[in-house]
Amino acid sequence: MSDSYSMAPVWFVDVFGAATMVVLSFAAVWYARRLVKAQPTNAMWTYILWFSAALAVFAVSRSVGHIAKRFLLLLDMPDVWVALRPYSGAFNTLAFVVVAAITLFFQRVDKINAGILQDKRALEDAGQEVMRLNRNLESLVRQRTEELSRSEKKYRRVFEGSMDMIFILDGDARFVDINNAGLTSLGYAAKEELVGVLDFRSFFVHEPDYIGLMNELRTNGFVRDRECRLRSNQGSELFVLLSATARTDGQSGITGYEGIAKDLTARLLMEKQLQRADKLASLGQISTGIAHEINNPLGVMLGYTQLLLRENTEGTQVYEDLKIIEKHARNCKTVVDDLLKFARGTRTNKTSIEVNQCVQEVLSLVSHQFELDKITLETDLDPDLPTLVADGEKLKQVIMNLLMNARQAIQGSGSISVATKADPAEQCLRISIRDTGCGIPDELIDKIFDPFFTTKPVGEGTGLGLSVSYGIIQDHNGLIEAHSEVDSGSTFTVVLPVTMGTPPQSVSTSEGPGPST
Amino acid sequence: MEPPSPEKTPSSHRKSRGLGFFLLASVASLSGSADFAWAFQSHPAPEGLYAHQLAHVYFAASMGILVYWLHRNRLTDQTGWRLIQISCVLFIAWNVVAFSGHWVEELISANMIRGHPGWTQRLDTGASPWAVVYFILKLDHLLCVPAILCLVLGLRSLYKKVLAEAERPHE
Repeated sequence: MSDSYSMAPVWFVDVFGAATMVVLSFAAVWYARRLVKAQPTNAMWTYILWFSAALAVFAVSRSVGHIAKRFLLLLDMPDVWVALRPYSGAFNTLAFVVVAAITLFFQRVDKINAGILQDKRALEDAGQEVMRLNRNLESLVRQRTEELSRSEKKYRRVFEGSMDMIFILDGDARFVDINNAGLTSLGYAAKEELVGVLDFRSFFVHEPDYIGLMNELRTNGFVRDRECRLRSNQGSELFVLLSATARTDGQSGITGYEGIAKDLTARLLMEKQLQRADKLASLGQISTGIAHEINNPLGVMLGYTQLLLRENTEGTQVYEDLKIIEKHARNCKTVVDDLLKFARGTRTNKTSIEVNQCVQEVLSLVSHQFELDKITLETDLDPDLPTLVADGEKLKQVIMNLLMNARQAIQGSGSISVATKADPAEQCLRISIRDTGCGIPDELIDKIFDPFFTTKPVGEGTGLGLSVSYGIIQDHNGLIEAHSEVDSGSTFTVVLPVTMGTPPQSVSTSEGPGPST
Repeated sequence: MEPPSPEKTPSSHRKSRGLGFFLLASVASLSGSADFAWAFQSHPAPEGLYAHQLAHVYFAASMGILVYWLHRNRLTDQTGWRLIQISCVLFIAWNVVAFSGHWVEELISANMIRGHPGWTQRLDTGASPWAVVYFILKLDHLLCVPAILCLVLGLRSLYKKVLAEAERPHE
């Protein structure tokens, strides 16, 4: 017996092993199916399911063969087993091949699965990013809107708050936007009157200025500190210093313009006034010198003439000759006196006066004559005019001079308006005398206050009326403004400062070495 | 003479000629002597065994390749795939044992197993030195059952991992 082994271990291992194989292979298929169910999109679990199923087929095919063989032989049915055996072997072989074939797909499936997983992760990341953006979109939009609004407000403040004209034009130089300073300068109340309605060209006094400006903008893309004259809606001229840039895009060329115009009209006017004041001051100094030198000899000449007149009988030739000398000497003295008044060399007696009363007194003197000359006199006197510390007689002389000039400017019939107006804001009062006369040409307006300047024929005026008036008003720390348009008339405005508080009763002043006349 | 159509290239002409020659030879051989006919071959008994053995080799090779891929793709860092890899190694071992068993079975005589078929049979080990080897190789289920057990355990591990991932809250 020692030369033989019992086949019982082989028999039992074969039978129970085969049965266990079947059970375990089905368990593998079950887990593989669970995996597929848990992650249906994972290709690897599908592969594992195929692999497990193939192994289950292999286990069943093999185990059925083994168990059938054992029991058929045990039951003395070898013929049946002999008949089944080839089929069992063939199925076994096929099962091996199927298992092996499926196994070899692993690498390809793994690669496909890796690609799918990568895409899935990318999709999940993108989805999460979209979710995050969705969650934050509202706050992001709000934040960006607030930033935009702050920025817009900042630039809008700069735009609207600028004291200079800032404007935006489209490609055809039509207004797209303009700030309040620009509207005020151009004489418009609302943007709607200007934006999209008018173009920049229409505001230029001189067309060549506009053409030159646009040419330079097209050539250089910008213009810096170009002096231009614009005309406002009311017709007044503005002298501006203009800087502008052209806005372009790469394809369609110039799409618009942005510019800043600094209004220098007031500065220009002030400079002119200063120049005129300097000129008149120089003329005053010369006039004072001459007047002083002439006045004394004139006095001597007049004195001796009067002595000689006493010694000669009236009606004689000598007497008549002396009277002519006296007359012309007196004329010369009047001119010298006027020159001294212009040069502020005379004494002024300032007291508290009612300006309206002064105006009324002068008007009562001239009204009758004006009526005869078919000149209509209109008055608009401010009843709330404050009292003024001034030399009333000299102020009347100024008003009289201005009225006479206005009368002489009117050929035929016309009207003269006299108005007084208090200006508490500027602490001054204004006396305006406006006529409907021939007006003063632009080239003469700067010369009208010069001594001996006159447009009247020789012998009809000395050309000292406005010069004397200017000197008197200067002596009162005031000024005379002249505005005139040819064929429409002129307006002279006397501006006198008002001292607030209790005015002094009587003040005498004398500037310069005034001659004793 | 008409030009050849675009589909009829010179190489396709050669193929057509070759096919024609093959068909002609087939007809000639069928109409000739049966002794020299090109017919199906017969497959006697050893071929089935050889096919089965080759299937074992194919099975083992595929498992070897899977072992290599699992290692190279670093899947064996996970317990589940590592168990599947062990399962593959055990299947390779089983294939070697089964292949050897079939081969050894051919070397021993059927008379060496005595008795009525069943667990009472005995193996005469004195008749041939291959008898003991045959006895050991016949216990091949001791390899293939653990192999499929490792597969089940591996799949269970992977399944648990998937469940754990599914239950983990999204970040």
